[in-house]
Amino acid sequence: MTTANQHPLEKIIESRIAIIDGAMGTTIRTYGMKEADIRGERFKDSTKDLLNNGDLFSLTQPKMICDIHRRFLEAGADIIETNTFGATSITQSEFFVDDPREHGGRKDPEFYQKIIDDSMLSNLAWEINEQSARQCREWADRVGSATGRQRFVAGAIGPLTVSLSNSPDADDAGFRVVTFDQVKTAYAEQVRALIAGGSDLLLVETIFDSLNAKAALVAIREVFDQDGKELPVMISAAVGRGGETLISAQTTEAFWNAVAHVKPLSVGLNCSLGPDLMYPFLDELSAKADVAISCYPNAGLPNPLSETGFDLGPEDMARYLGNFARSGLINIAGGCCGNTPEHIAAIAKALEGHAPREWSRQIESAA
Amino acid sequence: MSATASVAEAVSSKPLRLSGSQPFTQQAGVYIMIGERTNVAGSPKFARLVKEGKYEEAVSVARQQVENGANVIDICMDEGMIDGVAAMTRYLQLLASEPEVAKVPFMVDSSKWEVIEAGLKCLQGKGIVNSISLKEGEEKFRQNAATVLKYGAAVVVMAFDEQGQAATYEEKIRICERAYRILVDEVSFPPEDIIFDPNILTVATGMEEHNNYAVDFINATRWIKANLPHAKVSGGVSNISFSFRGNNKVREAMHSAFLYHAIAAGMDMGIVNAGMLEVYEEIDPELKVLVEDVLLNRRPDATERLVEHGEALKHIGVVVSEKKAEEWRHGTVEERLSHALVKGIDAYIELDAEEARVKLGRPLLVIEGPLMDGMGVVGDLFGAGKMFLPQVVKSARVMKKAVAHLTPYMEAEKAAMEASGQVVKAQGKILLATVKGDVHDIGKNIVGVVLACNNYEVIDMGVMVSSEKILDRAKTEKVDLIGLSGLITPSLDEMVHVAREMERQGFKVPLLIGGATTSRRHTAVKIAPHYSEPVVHILDASRAVPVTTSLLSDDAKPAFVKQYRAEYEALRTAHAAPRQQGVPLETARSRRTPIEWRAEDVPTPAFSGVRVLDNFPLATLREYIDWSPLFHAWGLKGVYPRILEHEQQGEQARQIFADANALLDRMIEQNSITARGVYGFFPANAVGDDVELYTGGTRGEVLERFHFLRQQANREGSEPCRSLSDFIAPKETGLPDHIGAFAVTSGVGLKELCDQFRADNDDYNAIMAEAIADRLAEAFAECLHKRVRDEWGYGCEENLSPADLIQEKYRGIRPAAGYPACPDHTEKGLLWRLLDVEANTGMRITESFAMWPGSSVSGLYFAHPESRYFSLGKIDRDQVTDYHERKGMSVADVERWLGPYLNYDPA
Repeated sequence: MTTANQHPLEKIIESRIAIIDGAMGTTIRTYGMKEADIRGERFKDSTKDLLNNGDLFSLTQPKMICDIHRRFLEAGADIIETNTFGATSITQSEFFVDDPREHGGRKDPEFYQKIIDDSMLSNLAWEINEQSARQCREWADRVGSATGRQRFVAGAIGPLTVSLSNSPDADDAGFRVVTFDQVKTAYAEQVRALIAGGSDLLLVETIFDSLNAKAALVAIREVFDQDGKELPVMISAAVGRGGETLISAQTTEAFWNAVAHVKPLSVGLNCSLGPDLMYPFLDELSAKADVAISCYPNAGLPNPLSETGFDLGPEDMARYLGNFARSGLINIAGGCCGNTPEHIAAIAKALEGHAPREWSRQIESAA
Repeated sequence: MSATASVAEAVSSKPLRLSGSQPFTQQAGVYIMIGERTNVAGSPKFARLVKEGKYEEAVSVARQQVENGANVIDICMDEGMIDGVAAMTRYLQLLASEPEVAKVPFMVDSSKWEVIEAGLKCLQGKGIVNSISLKEGEEKFRQNAATVLKYGAAVVVMAFDEQGQAATYEEKIRICERAYRILVDEVSFPPEDIIFDPNILTVATGMEEHNNYAVDFINATRWIKANLPHAKVSGGVSNISFSFRGNNKVREAMHSAFLYHAIAAGMDMGIVNAGMLEVYEEIDPELKVLVEDVLLNRRPDATERLVEHGEALKHIGVVVSEKKAEEWRHGTVEERLSHALVKGIDAYIELDAEEARVKLGRPLLVIEGPLMDGMGVVGDLFGAGKMFLPQVVKSARVMKKAVAHLTPYMEAEKAAMEASGQVVKAQGKILLATVKGDVHDIGKNIVGVVLACNNYEVIDMGVMVSSEKILDRAKTEKVDLIGLSGLITPSLDEMVHVAREMERQGFKVPLLIGGATTSRRHTAVKIAPHYSEPVVHILDASRAVPVTTSLLSDDAKPAFVKQYRAEYEALRTAHAAPRQQGVPLETARSRRTPIEWRAEDVPTPAFSGVRVLDNFPLATLREYIDWSPLFHAWGLKGVYPRILEHEQQGEQARQIFADANALLDRMIEQNSITARGVYGFFPANAVGDDVELYTGGTRGEVLERFHFLRQQANREGSEPCRSLSDFIAPKETGLPDHIGAFAVTSGVGLKELCDQFRADNDDYNAIMAEAIADRLAEAFAECLHKRVRDEWGYGCEENLSPADLIQEKYRGIRPAAGYPACPDHTEKGLLWRLLDVEANTGMRITESFAMWPGSSVSGLYFAHPESRYFSLGKIDRDQVTDYHERKGMSVADVERWLGPYLNYDPA
């Protein structure tokens, strides 16, 4: 593993379990922001509701977002994620362009071509990514130098609001609303902006459709090749009760086979199932993959009647991830939906002193 | 292929790993079958289907390949009349929606690079590109290889270079080595993903220079496997026999003999029609010699000899291997429809739907009966994580075909009804929308597809749709149902808002709620109270249709709504019930039963280990019977013996008592049932809320560990929070305590006895025999407890009458798993292991931890004078989590087994 140009994060995850931050969306909600807050001056005339377009807060309420980044860093996160889960022209279009279905139309590649060609949307996506990466960079460096521990910024690349594997047309199973090239183009814009803003890593996450993820990975490769700069890539899937990517239904090992060529820094699971139900699939992935394993589950399954929307508290998450660590399954750990800075602090504390999973030896001896 | 390949290199070679929706890993020495029927060049039928745009049938060709055992399917659209990019894209997108096919890896096969790239853009898994070569020079080769790597596929490399195709051994290995070095050293292509095709060329053409082609291929294969680490070898097998076309008997023999030798040399895979392969061992010996003479170039006249011999075989047609007999076709029409839906097979669905229509009389009965039942199975499997979303959608698409077949009949029925003056309802119209503020709708789209497949008219308004727009559209379109979807938490409030608006505007249509963060309980508690019509939660796409069918059926709706109202009301009541005040587990533990541990309260039993009691005298047990429950079994309330004198019930009670005793006399006399039991004492100490049992007196090795729960709720002031573990000396006291365990039955032979009574139409005695056996089992437990107390020492002085015993006036308790002090039934599993109950008595526990035969009792014995029965009451999440860790059982399982004892709503 040790090479001259080894990334500093690689060194860390060989010696201890690195901590990745918690949820942005559910943490934002604890700040009680209103529609007017997210709009600010800039989007005050927008026709659609923007409140749930959390990525926009990085532009209109940078103080709050930076406060969240800071809290996660102070809780002990080695890696913080940019607030860019939906910062592609495709996902942003949902908040700015009328849905043709409202008037009997449909979404199809022709519709999404207009989205891809819409300079307002691609500029907005660029700006969110670049700004958010810069904000993360600033806070990661500040807290990093204050604590004498280097922190890393992962450019978060989400799954999109469309699927390349699924047909919404009852009469045509072969129909797709969007093409691979359109998705790839949207992702490539995001990747460039995340790099421009100073990200250390790229994180393709919450993958429910492996083909969407593949488009993102191809986009990343092309950006690297064209721009002559490479960053480590992390890959993380959201799986269902059978360990399958939720929409495209690819099982865990099949998924790993499909992305292994990227030689990612890590592969893992996040979101969807809470830690309890995630365990067997994490175990499977850990047995198959010859790279680091990441794990940042939701704070349990969603529970709309619980106050936070999720059931597990900081101590619960700490206990589960502590068990994963004891089983030698993980190199990077944190939380997804429902995990606050308090959760991350508890997780960081619980994992202190635990040896990370050893992978290179494991896999080679098995081969 | 039965050829057992001896692949010397297999030991150190990395296997080829691929994937569709499922993983595929090459097994050492096992030949990979690549299906070729989805190749327009190899299958005129497939080519015709594609050209005519009959993609649905073309998909079934792929499906047959997978069913016939292809590990990978080769897809090729290279034909002058076909638009390769469009056809490849469309076909692969259709295959992605065909779960049974999508599970295997695909080989994207084309000589046109743009077709290959179009194919790669459709593969979620890791497939194979077929092929690249040095034909157009190194630059193009490197570029194409890098593209393949970018998409994450393996690659077939043809032994071709700028000068052309490699025919001889020397050419083959020279080109393959050159290609390998470029791929591995310059492109960093994983060597295990490189698959060489060193050209299988036609032999027996009459040209002398062709005679060694098979040998050259086999030798090149051997060289590649020995010299190019991890590389694989493949080839198009049918080329070898091209000069014998029209003579399938010879061709089959050649293919199979060729593969036999090539696989032995290390060939990993090949493109071959599995239906055209003879088993090597079964080739006619004379033919085999002739064929191998040709393939292995063993004599100059080999070709003439084979041609001559082959003439005589020309008339023998090929027995194309029939598709495996489809077992499921033998089931009833209902079973067949269910199977077709679950497996997503549409081949016979119209046929079966028609048969069901004729059988059931009305088309609607087919939909609401067997088809809906089938979808119910799909829903169950999906809920259990045994089926995935694409399979649910595929099932719906099969359903669509069945419904389409039935629709004309329903319309004819409707027309007839209208003609006779009846009012006829149109097919349901459903409006779907993701609520304002939420942009997520992939799941909702799937629900839309499933509903549309069931012949509903679905109006999908998309995402971020405001309440006004939804309700306006619902009014103008006069929809029958509205479905709201949302993925993020804030959408829940918006759903409440829509429900309120529907009430205010006087809507009368039911409202459906779905999406990742929604739940049945939330719908019942927070949304439904705001709208007078039904507001029903839909768990997932697979559950939508049964609900809509019920809600839109005049016949089924009233019963459905009644049940729905009751269920949702129960959810609201449960939710509103004040949670009991619980103390944290840590606090509860600090308030354990106060016991001052003294050596004299910790007696040592007469033995430790297990003892078996077989054929225990029923006459003895009779003395220990507590008769009161027998009367309860017959619906009489009261306590024995007073009940015999009861004013109203006395006479009946006396009759029952007399009959019971008469029957018991006979049972004892005829030995018609047998009592068996097993019990034991074990050194034990409490460790936290667990009790550890040890293998010996030194207490070094833990034999078994029982897990107990502790009272947490409604413990006021300084009331102790009890746990059964409180009654065993804690390890830190150093006291050598013991625990007892037992399992007894009086049910051996009972079934036969009851069957006999029933055969004689004597149900009264059959029921009576069961009731008596139950009493005997309890008596057995009581009787054994007496013996245990004696063997423990302290029982010898108790001097109690059987009546006192029944009232449990003695020291010690015998709690049973599943009862109030330790309600977790699964602890019975530990008891069964501890006492080896099944081997010792024949008693078994079922999957649900019920004991078999009935009339069985099992439990633990606690000896401490302070031990007492109690009721656990409700427990909190902290204890459930702790219990899950102690016991190594998932939280979900703990919550399932302890459902009624939870002081919270599990998610």
